[in-house]
Amino acid sequence: MPMIINGIGVSRGITQGWIHVLKRGETKIVKRDLAPDEIESEVERLNVALEESRKQLREVRDMVPEKMRQEVTGFLDAHLLMLDDAMLVDMPAEMIRNEACNAEWALESTLEQLVAVFESMEDAYLRTRQNDVQHVIRKVQENLTPSDSGEEAQDRERDLTGRIVVADDLTPADTVLIQHQNVAAFVTQFGSSMSHTAILARSLQIPAVVGLHDAGMLLEDGELVLIDGHGGTILCADDAGWLVDQYRGYQRAEQERVESLMALRDKPTITRDKQSVTLKCNIDLLEEIPHVHEVQAEGIGLYRTEFFYLDRPEGASADEQYEVYRDLVKALDGKPLTIRTLDLGADKEFDPDYEGAIAPNPALGLRAIRRSLQNKPVFMAQLRAILRASAHGPVHVMLPMLTNISELTQSLALVRDCQEELEGEGIPYDPEIKIGGMIEVPAAAISASVFARHLDFLSIGTNDLIQYTLAIDRVDDQVHYLFDPLHPAVLFLIHHTIEAGREAGKPVGMCGEMASNPRLTRLLVGLGLREFSTHPGSLLEIKQIINHVSYKELKNQCQEILACTHPEKIHDMVEALAQA
Amino acid sequence: MIEKNATVVNKLGLHARAAAKLVSEASQYQAQMEIEKEGKRANAKSIMSIMMLAATHGTPVRLFTSGPDEEEAMQALVALFDSGFGEGAEPCP
Repeated sequence: MPMIINGIGVSRGITQGWIHVLKRGETKIVKRDLAPDEIESEVERLNVALEESRKQLREVRDMVPEKMRQEVTGFLDAHLLMLDDAMLVDMPAEMIRNEACNAEWALESTLEQLVAVFESMEDAYLRTRQNDVQHVIRKVQENLTPSDSGEEAQDRERDLTGRIVVADDLTPADTVLIQHQNVAAFVTQFGSSMSHTAILARSLQIPAVVGLHDAGMLLEDGELVLIDGHGGTILCADDAGWLVDQYRGYQRAEQERVESLMALRDKPTITRDKQSVTLKCNIDLLEEIPHVHEVQAEGIGLYRTEFFYLDRPEGASADEQYEVYRDLVKALDGKPLTIRTLDLGADKEFDPDYEGAIAPNPALGLRAIRRSLQNKPVFMAQLRAILRASAHGPVHVMLPMLTNISELTQSLALVRDCQEELEGEGIPYDPEIKIGGMIEVPAAAISASVFARHLDFLSIGTNDLIQYTLAIDRVDDQVHYLFDPLHPAVLFLIHHTIEAGREAGKPVGMCGEMASNPRLTRLLVGLGLREFSTHPGSLLEIKQIINHVSYKELKNQCQEILACTHPEKIHDMVEALAQA
Repeated sequence: MIEKNATVVNKLGLHARAAAKLVSEASQYQAQMEIEKEGKRANAKSIMSIMMLAATHGTPVRLFTSGPDEEEAMQALVALFDSGFGEGAEPCP
């Protein structure tokens, strides 16, 4: 009879294997009174056990493969430090001396006292950190009283290939040791997605299910089971054939997920209530174009050009840039290419000698379009190259960091100058080339309707919009924690910009990080966004979401989110929306 | 003696791994280093003492250093708190 048990899936992967219940030497700790002349030798026995424990942990640490060292050894280092900590070392030693009791008992009392303190903590996660203390003290106790049966020692030696280890709980050291024995998966009775086993299993890339209560009773040694480390499911059956079928079924499901995404490639992106959405990609290099075709994006919503300027402030020559743009346009096969003009300055500073001093507040300084307008020959070389490329297929020009309408009129005048120049030289270009602007400064978002009137399209750059709206320097670690894409003011500006574009009849896209995050897709659709420019890797997932939603429903839910003033509540509402 | 305010900015607060990082860093200085939360003081060189502080995400703390290298010790402490003990910062509620 097949049986299905559910725990918490904490480390992705599906595998089949035989249960191996990990035996733990459950020695009962008994108090033993010491004669006065036994006391010092008992303290010495404790010290030996402490030293032995340190040695063992250090050995385990050395077994961790180099590439995952940092994440994994953090736990082991913490345990090693505890073994050196006065609180853990002196408390039991004092107790042996004061109460003339055995070391095991002294450790047990110390543990009880420490656990009591942890138990009183309010924070759930920190409260569970008593496990760390427990693991360390149990280890010392084990070393005081080596297990009689030697079963545990045997366990350490055994080859566990294809075995699914089941334990009450695993210490970080256990996890590393067991991984060395080629286990297929872990199952523990205790733990959560944040417990050691979970974190370590993820970094060791082994499927794991935790929080499976009574795991040791439900699962028998030697039993063949199937484990799904993502869904948290374990399938048990006497019939190995049935299990193998199930396993194949699971594999098929995963494959189907990928295939169902791929099947969406040539489907239109449209909500259930027939709102069409355009999906484009952000790219930096010509080499990425095959990915763009693979997911059948409708064009490039953001092509960054900073690399032309990285080692030379004057930028690559107009000819050199033209060739790169032209190759991109040709490779895109009729799909539009949106080229963002130079967006250097601020955090992407390239020229230490530029204008002498470094501005104290580069994000608010001479960058992006401001810089281009102050250095017209460089800007015109780029515009000329873009215009020439437009003769080979659809090209859009995108101006970064517009703040004042005068920046726009100056830029448009320069485009016209370039067009006349090309005209005079008899060089072809697209006279209908579309010119758009990035909305990434609050001033531009607030006056989006003015920009929408003068431009062919708008594109919301969320990273900068958040940085400027919330007055947070993105590169300053000290305020980075304030970076909140769901801040009510940010959502207001995004919504306002989309509305302004709609009223002016101009398309509004989004090319920042927010557009690539599938958890925010429903929110953005509900806010009225109809063009996303994403990483090629997340495009199909976003399409799948859009094809499942109804704009009308989302619109109502988003009105509630827009009306909410509590950032925390907004996060909850957006999360609920994402899981709908 | 130098005193400074700081906030626990990493998501999980001063848990074992974060505390381990703090202790390893603190142990490189001669100065006495302490962290105070709601009047309770912890020795920054004792992992148990730090873990028992139960300093969660968003907890404001006061840092104290005193000794020959107190300046450097304080700088190191502040940098660690700011970086969320290398785990990054989460927006505070």
